[in-house]
Amino acid sequence: MQSLIRYAAWMIASALLFSCSESEPPIDQGPTPISLDKPDYFSDQQVMPSDNPLTEEGVRLGRMLFYEKKLSQDGTISCSSCHQQEKGFSDGLQFSPGVNGTLGSMNAMALSNLHWQTRFFWNGRAVSLEEQALIPIEDPKEMNLPMKEAISRLQGDVNYPGLFQAAFGSDQVTSENIGKALAQFERTLISANSKFDKWIRGEVELSPEEELGLELFFTHPEPSIQLRGGNCGDCHLGFMTSGDPNGFAGFHNNGLDSDKSLKSGLESVTENPFDKGKFKAPSLRNIALTAPYMHDGRFSSLEEVLDHYNEHIQNSETLDVLILEASNEILDPAEPIRLYLSAEEKQAIIAFLHTLTDEEFVSNPKFSNPFN
Amino acid sequence: MNVEITFENTLNGNTLELNQEIFTLPSGESFMVKKFKYYISNVILTDSETNTQYVETDSYHLMGQDFNSAIELGMIPSANYDQITFSIGVDEVANSRTDQTGDLDPNNDMAWNWNSGYKFVILEGEFIHQSTQERTGLVFHIGNNQNYATVTLPLSGLAAGKSASISLETAIDELFSNPNSLVPSNLASTTVMGGPVADQIGQNYADGFIKAN
Repeated sequence: MQSLIRYAAWMIASALLFSCSESEPPIDQGPTPISLDKPDYFSDQQVMPSDNPLTEEGVRLGRMLFYEKKLSQDGTISCSSCHQQEKGFSDGLQFSPGVNGTLGSMNAMALSNLHWQTRFFWNGRAVSLEEQALIPIEDPKEMNLPMKEAISRLQGDVNYPGLFQAAFGSDQVTSENIGKALAQFERTLISANSKFDKWIRGEVELSPEEELGLELFFTHPEPSIQLRGGNCGDCHLGFMTSGDPNGFAGFHNNGLDSDKSLKSGLESVTENPFDKGKFKAPSLRNIALTAPYMHDGRFSSLEEVLDHYNEHIQNSETLDVLILEASNEILDPAEPIRLYLSAEEKQAIIAFLHTLTDEEFVSNPKFSNPFN
Repeated sequence: MNVEITFENTLNGNTLELNQEIFTLPSGESFMVKKFKYYISNVILTDSETNTQYVETDSYHLMGQDFNSAIELGMIPSANYDQITFSIGVDEVANSRTDQTGDLDPNNDMAWNWNSGYKFVILEGEFIHQSTQERTGLVFHIGNNQNYATVTLPLSGLAAGKSASISLETAIDELFSNPNSLVPSNLASTTVMGGPVADQIGQNYADGFIKAN
C-alpha cells in the first residue's frame, strides 16, 4: 500500500503537468498542430503517425465526417449511428443495422483511447485507425458507399473542399485524407476522467466494494497461496484496461465456444490455425454504457459476462492459457474450468467496472454532432 | 565501439518457438510454450585487466520470445571487455515504483498492479498432466525482491574499438531444475505467482539460466 500512496502523490504532482492541447497559431497558412490532451499515466510510447500529425483543422474535419450521413449510400447513417457518444461510442445493439436495415455480424466496438491501440476490428484486420476508418464506408453491410462516390459527394459539397484544403493543403478530396481526418478525430476521443482516473490521480477514494473489485480485477488467482483473483487484468492491461498493443498479443480465445463452434476470429487475418477463436480484448472504459458484450454481443449484462468467466468457460484447442489455468480453488485438471468467485466478489468486480464510466467523456461537446 | 547484446531462447537444447513446437521438460513432460518474457537490468561491461567498466544508465530491458531479442548499448567507451554483469528482474528501487515509462511502463503486462511491483520472469504454456492426461496450463509469474538475481559471465572476443555483438542464451529448462527440480504434474498449483515455489524458481534462474553463447 505504501507505494500506492507514493504513487498517488506523484500523480497529483504530475496532474499539474497535463499536456496542453493547443499551441500558438503559426504565421504561415498551414494547419495548426495540436497534441493529445492525455494524462501522464497514459503511455508516451505510442507515436503519432508521421504522415498524419494531429491538427486542429484535421480534427475538425474528421469530426464532421464522423457525423456525415452523406457517407452512407442512402444518406441515412454515419459512423455515429453505430458509435453513439452517450453510449461510450457504441450503439446498445447486438448487431448494427447498415443501410436498408442489413444487419452486421459483429457487435459495434466502443471507441475511446484509440491512440494506444494498434490493431482494429474484432479480428485485427486493420493495422491503423486511418485504414480502419474507411472500411465501414464501403462495407455492404454498413454504409455501402463506393469510395469513388464518397469522394465525389464530398468534392461537390459547398464546405468540404475548403475544409480539406485547411486540413491537408489541398481541396482535392481523397480517400487517404478522409481516413486521416477520421483517424485524427478518433484519436482525440480520450476518456480519462472516470472515477477510476480520479482514484489514480489521488482525487477520490473508492468504496470498499469498488476497491475489492479493483484488487480482484487485476489479480490472477493463486489458490495455493490464498491469493484470490478475478483474472481480468491478464488481458485488460493497466490503466487503459485494453489489450496488449504488441503484435497480436492482445487477441485471445476467452472460452465462449467449444472447438465445434469456434469462429475463425484472428485466424482469418493471420491464417494461423493457432489463432482460431481469438478476438481483440477491448478496452473496458465506459463498459457499463456499452452493452451488449463480446464480439457477437451475446451477453446483455455485466452479470452475464461475470457468470461466463466464472462458470461457463468452454474449453477448446486455443483457449487462452491464463483462462485454462485460473481458479480460486485448487482443481483437479479433469474438472471443468471454474474461477470459483463468490457472488459478492462478482458484484465487487462489477462495481469496479462502473468506476470506468466517464460522464465527462460521454457529454463532452467537443465530441458531439457538429451539425446539431 | 558499438555493442549490442542478443538473446536466443532455448528449451531442451532447441531454439524456442511459441505455440507450435512441443518441447520436453527436464521432468520428461511435454510442454508447449505460449509466452516467455523477462527483465534484464543494470547491465555492466568490465575490462578486468584495466579495471574499466561501462555501466549502462537507466538499464531496464523487457526481453521476450517474439517480442524483443536484443539490447542495443550503442556507442560505448572502447575497452577490451571480458565480463558482462546484469540482473534478472528489476532492482528494489525500480520495483517499488510504478510511475515509470519505457520498458517499465506499468501498462505493459509485467506489472502486477499498482502496489506490488513487477513480474521478473513470465513463462506460460501447456503440458499434459501425468495423472489425468488432460491438457493443463502452467503459469509462472515470478517477481519479488528476493528473486532479483545478478549474473556475471565471462566474455571472449571483444576488442577495443571494434563493433561487437554479445550472444547470450537462455535455457528455460533451468527454471525447472538446478538446484530445485520441479515436475509440473506434481505441483499443488500450476499457477505460480509467489510463495515458496516461486522462490524455488527464482533460485533456479539465478544460476545457469542465462549463459554466454
